[in-house]
Amino acid sequence: MQPRSVGRDARAAVITTLAFVTAVALLPPGSYLALLLAWLLLTFAGALLGISPGHLARRGLVALPFVVAAVPIVFLRNDELLWAGNIGPLTLQISGAGLRIALTALLKAWISVQASVLLLVLASPPSIVTALRRMRLPDVIATSAGLTIRYLELLRDEARRMLRARTARSASPVGVGRERIGGTIAWRARTTGNLVGSLFLRAYSRAQRIEEAAASRGATGSLSVGTMPDADPRLTIKVIGVLALVLVLTLAGALLPRL
Amino acid sequence: MYPQLHIPDGFLSPQISLLLWVATAVLIGIAVRKTSRTDVQLIASQPILMGVLGAFIFAAQMFNFPVATGTSGHLLGGVLAGYLLGPWAGTIVMATVIGIQALLFQDGGLLVLGANIFNMGVIGTLGGSFVARGASTALGGSRSASIIGAGAAAWLAVVAAAGFTTLQLGLSGTTNVSIGLPAMLGVHALIGIGEALITVAALTFIAQTAPDILVGVSAPRKASPVRRLAIGVVIAGGVATLASLFASADPDGLEAVAEQLGFLDAGLSAPFELFPDYTIPGLDGTASTVVAGLLGMIVVIGVLMALGRLARSRTKS
Repeated sequence: MQPRSVGRDARAAVITTLAFVTAVALLPPGSYLALLLAWLLLTFAGALLGISPGHLARRGLVALPFVVAAVPIVFLRNDELLWAGNIGPLTLQISGAGLRIALTALLKAWISVQASVLLLVLASPPSIVTALRRMRLPDVIATSAGLTIRYLELLRDEARRMLRARTARSASPVGVGRERIGGTIAWRARTTGNLVGSLFLRAYSRAQRIEEAAASRGATGSLSVGTMPDADPRLTIKVIGVLALVLVLTLAGALLPRL
Repeated sequence: MYPQLHIPDGFLSPQISLLLWVATAVLIGIAVRKTSRTDVQLIASQPILMGVLGAFIFAAQMFNFPVATGTSGHLLGGVLAGYLLGPWAGTIVMATVIGIQALLFQDGGLLVLGANIFNMGVIGTLGGSFVARGASTALGGSRSASIIGAGAAAWLAVVAAAGFTTLQLGLSGTTNVSIGLPAMLGVHALIGIGEALITVAALTFIAQTAPDILVGVSAPRKASPVRRLAIGVVIAGGVATLASLFASADPDGLEAVAEQLGFLDAGLSAPFELFPDYTIPGLDGTASTVVAGLLGMIVVIGVLMALGRLARSRTKS
């Protein structure tokens, strides 16, 4: 889908996303009703932009594997024991408090990812960089980020082709019948390192060419010249609306019953 | 075995997230000032090189190599970026890459972006680069010494990033440090080996194919023996601290099992043990662990100096 604000001031979208994510992070453990409210607001906004809740929900699953980090507290905390018993030689206990923390973290991560997916629907990557530059992101970082985004797909494509070439030449390193093809681990690491090295040389010579081309056109090493779109005239009103949203979510976290 | 170091939103408390945002902002601010008057002028326009190399780090993270079925090593690239661009510009590039991963690919959260940049960009690249330079100086300052130093720093950077991630999760109350830390350090000690091997191989490849590019980069410097010793002590101190975290957090799994099952006494003790159980006989608890750590450090420094002498004699001949 084409982002809405190509060449427009994306500051309002960036601020809204950051404020929403912060408000969600501030919710205390167990505030499932407030999280439900946050999710409803999000999916409503998504629906207005033409994104189905199912699609958003699936995109949100990226953060799921990280929940492994929160697994120990479910079993190691000693408060609000839900269950304790023996499984074979192991003595296990499940803590309600630990379970609540893990589940809240998981839901917060899931909702926050969906919020940043919506940001990309609202604003194109270059317009996000421009918005951040307007918000006083240092010029070196903004220019470097803009160029990284610009050349990302090009170099990823290059890397993909190099990987395909490696696969074609050395077959699969660990074969079907677990027979090993393609040398020792150190050999495989060196092959991979050589790929990284030659990708660097290609990137480096590309940087040189870009630099020459830019210099011959009178560039000064910054992308900030003449690329700023008009400022959003309704920015102040939008930011006030966003603050109201944060307030509502925080109040919901404080007032709605927690489980 | 993907190095899962990109923390998503919700797993760190807002206080910890904001604290690390401040720390990251200050350090990146210093980096921006430093790069505006950098000594590493590879090509005239620093931002263009940084931007394209940011895309390079991104793409290079796709390169993986299978270690065993279902397990693969791949690159984070922090120390590599620091070596090729200098510590400060490398840190900015890594911060940009981590930021773009969060914004465009939802790989890591937004409120916790400060923490992610701190762990992987600041600790990994800035810290890693200084460790690499220090190790290279301690090893005698030749080109191969600097590449070996970068390899060691790459390993340390991955392990340290994993350690910091776990500590932050622990402070936020979302993980149990006494279980999480040994697990994370253990897994990333393995992942770090992949990182170190790829970093060394990539730098060797570049040094052999295009030595002229590396001329301006991390130029070998001569340092007085005192200075080298001092740098060696600092690095060894860092390693000893990490190692003692390991040692204290996981009191030797096999030994614990053996103790429980009651056959510890049946086992033979080693023919000689320099520091049995990492303690010095006659000293108690913490004090003896510290003394043992210091003695271990002296041994590491001795090895470093010996290797440095070897490296120098190899360059002379």
